[in-house]
Amino acid sequence: MSLAAPAGSGSIALAVGGARVRLRRRWRANAVAYLYLAPAAALTAVFVYWPLVASAALSFYDWNLVSPDRVAVGWQNYRDLVQSRAFRLSLVNTGQAAVALTVLTVLAPLILAVLVLQVTPRWRNVYRVVLFSPTVISMAIACAIWLWMFHPLYGVLNAALGLAGLPAPAWLSSSDWAIWSIVLVTVWKTFGFNFVIYTAGLLAIPAELYQAARVDGASDAQLFRHITLPLLAPTTLFVLLTTFVLGPQNLFIPTQILTQGGPNEASNNVGYLVYQLGFEYFRVGYASAAATLIFLVFLVLTAIQFLLAERRIHYGG
Amino acid sequence: MAQLRKPLFYAALALLLALGRLLLPASAAEPVTIEYWHINSPTFGGPAVTELVKLFESRHPDIKIVEKFQPGVYTGLMQQLQVSLAAKRPPAVAQIGFNLTAYAAGQFPHVVLDKYRESDPEFFKGIPDNIMALGLFGGKLHGIPFGVSTPVMYYNPELFKAAGLDPDQPPQTWDEVQRQGQIIKQKTGKLAVYLQQPNDEWIDQTLIWGNGGRPLSEDGKRVGWDSAPAIEAMQMWQDMVQKSKIAANLTWEEGIQAFLSGHIAMCLTTIGRQEHMRKNANGFDVRSAPVPRFGGKPLATATGGNVLMIFASDPAQEKAAWEWIRFLLSPDGATIWTRGTGYLPPRAALANDPRYLKPFFDQAPLMKAALDTFPYAKPWVSFPGSRGLEITKTLIKAREEVLEGKRPAEAILKEAAAQANTLLSR
Repeated sequence: MSLAAPAGSGSIALAVGGARVRLRRRWRANAVAYLYLAPAAALTAVFVYWPLVASAALSFYDWNLVSPDRVAVGWQNYRDLVQSRAFRLSLVNTGQAAVALTVLTVLAPLILAVLVLQVTPRWRNVYRVVLFSPTVISMAIACAIWLWMFHPLYGVLNAALGLAGLPAPAWLSSSDWAIWSIVLVTVWKTFGFNFVIYTAGLLAIPAELYQAARVDGASDAQLFRHITLPLLAPTTLFVLLTTFVLGPQNLFIPTQILTQGGPNEASNNVGYLVYQLGFEYFRVGYASAAATLIFLVFLVLTAIQFLLAERRIHYGG
Repeated sequence: MAQLRKPLFYAALALLLALGRLLLPASAAEPVTIEYWHINSPTFGGPAVTELVKLFESRHPDIKIVEKFQPGVYTGLMQQLQVSLAAKRPPAVAQIGFNLTAYAAGQFPHVVLDKYRESDPEFFKGIPDNIMALGLFGGKLHGIPFGVSTPVMYYNPELFKAAGLDPDQPPQTWDEVQRQGQIIKQKTGKLAVYLQQPNDEWIDQTLIWGNGGRPLSEDGKRVGWDSAPAIEAMQMWQDMVQKSKIAANLTWEEGIQAFLSGHIAMCLTTIGRQEHMRKNANGFDVRSAPVPRFGGKPLATATGGNVLMIFASDPAQEKAAWEWIRFLLSPDGATIWTRGTGYLPPRAALANDPRYLKPFFDQAPLMKAALDTFPYAKPWVSFPGSRGLEITKTLIKAREEVLEGKRPAEAILKEAAAQANTLLSR
C-alpha cells in the first residue's frame, strides 16, 4: 500500500501518495453510492431508455413483432405519418385537450383552493373530501358513470341542458363534441389532485407575511397578487408540468372506453393513436415512428416550459 | 463489504435454484400441459369453459388444460397473442374472431389443419360447408369454426302494442321496419330501431350481404363498399337516423341500454347477447326475429364468432391441442358450450337432437330466430394482407361518418373504398 512507502522518499512523494489515498477514499465512498443507485439506474435504463432506443430503431421497419419478414423501409413510416389525416387530427385534438386541461385543471383548482381556505377548518375538510373523491375512483369506473350521464336519450347532462333550454348534443357520437366529452371526464377525474396540491402549497405560506401586509394596509387582491402567487410559484410549476405532460396521457382510458377515438377520428389523441397503430393494426414500426415524433414534440415543449418557468420562480427557504 | 455478502449469497443461491429448475428434465410420466386462450368472461361463457376443461381432463388424464381468459374480446386476445408469439411462448390453442382470422392466418405462425382432414375424417362429418368455410383462407384450413353467432332483431312487444302494431308480426323487410318505425315514433314518441355500432363492422357487412353486395370481391383485390348495393344499404341507415329520425346513432353500450330500458323498440345485435337481453329487459319480455330482408332479396347475414387455431410448435403439444379441439366440437362439448354461451353449434344437427341441444333450444325462444338464420350465414369477411386490420377500421370510420349525415353515403364510401383498396394492394 502507498502508506507503507519507504522512509525518506521525500515530501513530494508523500503528498502524491496522500492525494492518491484521498482519491481512492473518495472513489470508495462514491462506490457505495453508485452501488445503491445501480438498481434504480439499471431499471430505468432497461425499462425506460432501452425501449426508447429500441422503439426509435423499430420506426424504420415495417413489421408486426411476429412475422419473420421484417422489412426496412427507411423514412417511409415518417412520410406516411406526416400525410396521415389520423395523425394530424390526433395532434390537433391533443393540443386542444392539453390547453383545455391546463386552463381547467390548473387555474380552476387554484381559485377553488384559495376560496376553500377562507371557510372554517371543518367545512374546509368537507370540501376537500368532496373535491378529491373523484381522484380516488378508478378511471374505468368514472367512465362507466359518465357513459350514462352522457346518454343522449336519457342522460342527466342532456336533461339539465334541456331544462335550461339549451340544445342537447349526442356527446360521444358527434364529431364536434366527442373530444370535449373526453376532456370533461378527464378534468372531473384529475381536478381534485391539483386542488389538494394547491391547498397544501397555500397552507405552507407563512401567515406572518399576510399579517404584516395587512398592517401595511394591503387589500385582498394585493395579498393574492404579491404574496400568494409568487410564493405559490413552485407549486404552480409542478401542477403545470404534470398537467401538461401527464394530462394528455390521462386521455387514454376515457378514449378507449367511451369512443375508441371515433367518430371518424374526431376524439383521437396521440397516445391512443400510437396504441391503435401498434396494437389494433399491428403496425409496430409505424406506431414507433409516431411515438418517436410525439416524444420529440413533448421533449421540446417541456424544455421550453422549464426554461420559461425557471426564470420566474421564487423558491422559498 | 461484509453486509453485502449475505444478499449476494442469497442471490447466487436463487440463481442456482432457477437454473436447476430449467436444466432438470421433466419427468416422462407428467401429463402434457397446454394453454387455451378464450374470451369467455364470467358473465359470457366462463363457467362453460371451466366445465369443459373438467370433463375433458377426466377423460384425458394425460393432458392438462390451462385455460386463460383474455380481456378485451377478440382484439384484446390478438394483442396478447402477438406479444406471446414475439416472446415465442404462444398458447397451444386460441379463439380467433372471424374478423381477425385472415390476419392471423396470413401473419402469425400457426398450424395449417388440412392434414387432419385425411388423418381424422370422422371429425369433419356433420359440419356444414358454409360453416367450415369460415376457417378457410386461400383454399387452406387455418382454423376450426367453434363459436358461431348470427345477428337477430330483438324487439320490445310492449312498444309495438302501444303503437297499435301486432307484436306477433315483427317487420320482415327494411321497408316494413321504416313504415312501422314511423308509426312507433308517432304513437309512442320512442325511437324505432338501433343497429349495433361497436368497434367492428359486423352489422355493416350484414347489410351489404343482405342487399346482394359483397364486402370483398371474390378475387380479394377490391373491397365492395362502394358498390351500388352497399351504398344503397348504408344510405338507408343514414336516412333512418338523419331524415326520418326513427333510428338512433349511439355507441354500442348506449344503444343496448336504451333498448333494454324501453327507449327504443328494436335492436339489431348478436344472438350471443340473448341471455343478457332476457335478464335485463326492463318492463317487457324481449322477443327476437330474423334480420329484416331487403325487399324480395334472400336473407343473408355476416357470421359472428370465432375459429380455434393451433399455435403449438411442439408435436406433443400439437397432438394434445387437436384432442382438445376434437372434444370442444364433440356432441358433449358442443352441448356444454352452446348452453353456456348461446353460440350456435357448428354441428347444426345437434340443435334438433333430443339427447343434446333440443331441450335447450325448446326453452330459449330467442334462439329460434338465430337458428332460422343459420342456413343463410355468410362469412364475416376478414380483410387479407398485412393491412387487413387497418382496412376494417377504415370502414368503421366510414360508417361513423355516414351516420353523422354531413355528406351522402356514396361520397364517403367511395373515398373509404379507395383508401381500403390501396391498403389491400400493400
